[in-house]
Amino acid sequence: MDSWVIGMMLGVSVFLGSIAVVALMWAIKKGQFDDKEKFLNSALFDDVDELNDAARLEKKREELKKKKENYRPE
Amino acid sequence: MSKKIKCDHCHLEFSEDVMIEDDGHYFCCNGCQGVYHLLSEQGLDGFYKKLGDEKLAPPSQQYEDSANFNSPAFYERYVKENKDGFSEVSLIIEGIHCAACVWLNEKALTNMDGVIATNINYTNNKAKIIWDDSTVKLSEIIDMIRAIGYNAYPYDASLQEEKANKERKDYYLRIAVAVFATMNMMTIMVAQYAGYFTGITDDVKHILNIGEWVLSTPVLFYSGWPFFRGMYYGIKTKTVNMDTLVATGSFLTYLYSIYITLTRSGEAYFDSVTMIVTFVLVGKFLEALSKKSVADTLDIMNKHLPSDVKIVEDEKIVTKNVNDVKVDDIVVVGAGDRVALDGEVVDGSGTFDESSLTGESEPIFKQKGDAIVSGTVSIDADIKYRVTRDYAHSTISNIVSLLENAMNNKPRIQQLANRLSEYFSTVILLLSLFTFIGWYFYSHNFEQSFMIAISVIVIACPCALALATPVATLVGLSIASKRGILFKEAALLETMADADVLVLDKTGTITQGRPKVVEQKRYEDFDMSLLYSLLLNSKHPIAKAVANEIYDESLSCYELESLQNVPSQGITAMYKGKMLAGGNAKLMQTIGLDVTSESEYSEFYFAYDGKLLAKFELFDLPREDAKETIAAIKKLGVRIIMLTGDHERSAKKVADMVGIEEFVAELTPQDKAAYIEKLQKEKHRVVMAGDGVNDILALAQSDIAIAMGNGSDIAIEVSDVVLLNDKFAALYDSFKISRRTFLMIKENLVLSLVYNAITIPLAMAGYVIPLIAAISMSISSLLVVGNSMRIKLGYKD
Repeated sequence: MDSWVIGMMLGVSVFLGSIAVVALMWAIKKGQFDDKEKFLNSALFDDVDELNDAARLEKKREELKKKKENYRPE
Repeated sequence: MSKKIKCDHCHLEFSEDVMIEDDGHYFCCNGCQGVYHLLSEQGLDGFYKKLGDEKLAPPSQQYEDSANFNSPAFYERYVKENKDGFSEVSLIIEGIHCAACVWLNEKALTNMDGVIATNINYTNNKAKIIWDDSTVKLSEIIDMIRAIGYNAYPYDASLQEEKANKERKDYYLRIAVAVFATMNMMTIMVAQYAGYFTGITDDVKHILNIGEWVLSTPVLFYSGWPFFRGMYYGIKTKTVNMDTLVATGSFLTYLYSIYITLTRSGEAYFDSVTMIVTFVLVGKFLEALSKKSVADTLDIMNKHLPSDVKIVEDEKIVTKNVNDVKVDDIVVVGAGDRVALDGEVVDGSGTFDESSLTGESEPIFKQKGDAIVSGTVSIDADIKYRVTRDYAHSTISNIVSLLENAMNNKPRIQQLANRLSEYFSTVILLLSLFTFIGWYFYSHNFEQSFMIAISVIVIACPCALALATPVATLVGLSIASKRGILFKEAALLETMADADVLVLDKTGTITQGRPKVVEQKRYEDFDMSLLYSLLLNSKHPIAKAVANEIYDESLSCYELESLQNVPSQGITAMYKGKMLAGGNAKLMQTIGLDVTSESEYSEFYFAYDGKLLAKFELFDLPREDAKETIAAIKKLGVRIIMLTGDHERSAKKVADMVGIEEFVAELTPQDKAAYIEKLQKEKHRVVMAGDGVNDILALAQSDIAIAMGNGSDIAIEVSDVVLLNDKFAALYDSFKISRRTFLMIKENLVLSLVYNAITIPLAMAGYVIPLIAAISMSISSLLVVGNSMRIKLGYKD
């Protein structure tokens, strides 16, 4: 077996593993594990409505932000 | 009786005739009806589907005006502006008890215009709300929470709590990276070691080394960043600490290994780099995990203080903030109210609970002209009093500021391992320098001398040293918690092991905290139900204790007439035209009986129709196991002192009963704290055990504060150790466990030092081969962990 095969396998497995770690770190940073109960319950509240709500909220935030930026006190 | 049906909002069951019928729906009250309609209007009725069979508390209708929330003072204190210019507030939401409640609150709030994000924590009901203040005001948000049947009040998401959370999260992230890399590193090391023993081609080894290099880089520079930061601060203050050794050791090892990898000569030590960083980081995390913050305690304290008082102004009663009340204002206090300001009674009379100041549960009678003290609670008094000191100078504010002071200045003992690591790190760094100089003069080969000098640092693995304390304390903590002893911080075990004075509070700590009948005498046979009926009409602890003593099922309750509480004497009543009287000797003299008190206990006499029928003697007895426990603690060489706010006589009595020679009586809360401070000035380590609000200053002052499990919540909050099962014997256990744990810590440190004493000379002589390095590293860590488990010996349960 050529050593480049070992190198490739090492590289691929570390890369795949690091994707999982980065995902975990993203979730920790977003505060998804701050509340154990809510984290478990979120499976119950996972409807189309919730997705729409989240999207609407995001839009609302952008709009308000834009309004703030355009606002110039006289 | 009509059948019971469920309210459509709160799901509580009531009989049909009291329900409000509304279009096919039934409600138990207007509140529920209002919430139900609001939810349907807002399209939030999915809530009921999610709620399932859970029951809710019906919404309350009375709230203080929410406009208070818009005052600039309130905004300044609780509302923060984030970097996008949005406002942010932390609230505690009352009434949340299921996932559907969280859903409803979040949904209802985010549906409001201007609210940008709502995050409610299910576990502690704390919410964080972000909104645009130019679109919607905080009062409207609070109104919405109330409208859907919950209540919210703000709390200071004090910097400390937030900081602690942030620190913890930061550790999680760093540990995630470190553990991931270490585990992958281990699989590579399997190949490396197999190759080391059975032969490996240079190419494969090179590839593996490069893999290790890639894995160890984020560990050293991301996970290991706190050590570099620690080293930087160490250099700034000119001290050498554990961080210095870990940072220099791992960084030099890293450089050395890169050199080895690039030149393809010898063995790389990338695995040591990740292992050291991971182990020491985990050890650090374990310590950070159990740190409590002062700010949270003060929050709890402030919650116990009334923020508004009712004062008489122009013949009218108005509510005012305590800070706005001036001296000579007249304040109205009703039954159950907590007094906020010091003053003097001008009208009315009644009894007060002064246990927060004296520790004694006996109510104190106050009438016109008597001084009343802030922090006390009116039991049945409806009085008006004239303020003699403004809020900032009242007793309770003084206590709070003293408490704040004491807690911020609490002596912190540097842990043994930290003290040791200063010397250890310095010695290792110096040794490595000498090795380099020695080898350079001996061989004149720069490269070789440098490599050997580095191997000294590498081999002086600080893993065992760093793990010695956290592992031992964790084992100690788990044993303690199994026995109902909760140490709030791991480092406290070490402090406690060093303690040589135990200060005990009397009432509630040594004693049971309530009087008990120790002797009774009946002069004649009489109907016990008479006495029982009389006693039921008094809230006095002595009457309650006697009632408990004589209670049995055959007793019945008679209708008594013209009941009268005679302040600080007892209670009288009429039954079938004859007079009943129960109280102390003074009361008996008042009704014309010739009784003189000669007992050293509290007495309770009972007379009916002018004849003395029975006498009870009561005393607040020590806890059952107090005497043995105190004797056992003394045997450990600990000096025991009892401090109490009670009178000299009863203090002496209790001290004699449990075998305490040193005691001081009639102390105020401030006196107790001063006494402990005096002991500390004499270089004593003081442990204080107490239970009441009157002990908190002393608890905060002491090196280790222990609270009894049924003590007041402020005392528990201030304390470092809580005896959850409220057993006095646990005091002895906590001494014993902390001492044993400390012994193990010392043993662990010695072990790791001995290890270094063997391996460092080998490294200095240039004999270090990778095998020794690896074995030394894992065995020293394993020994420390294994040794710590020995704490469990002798604690089989």
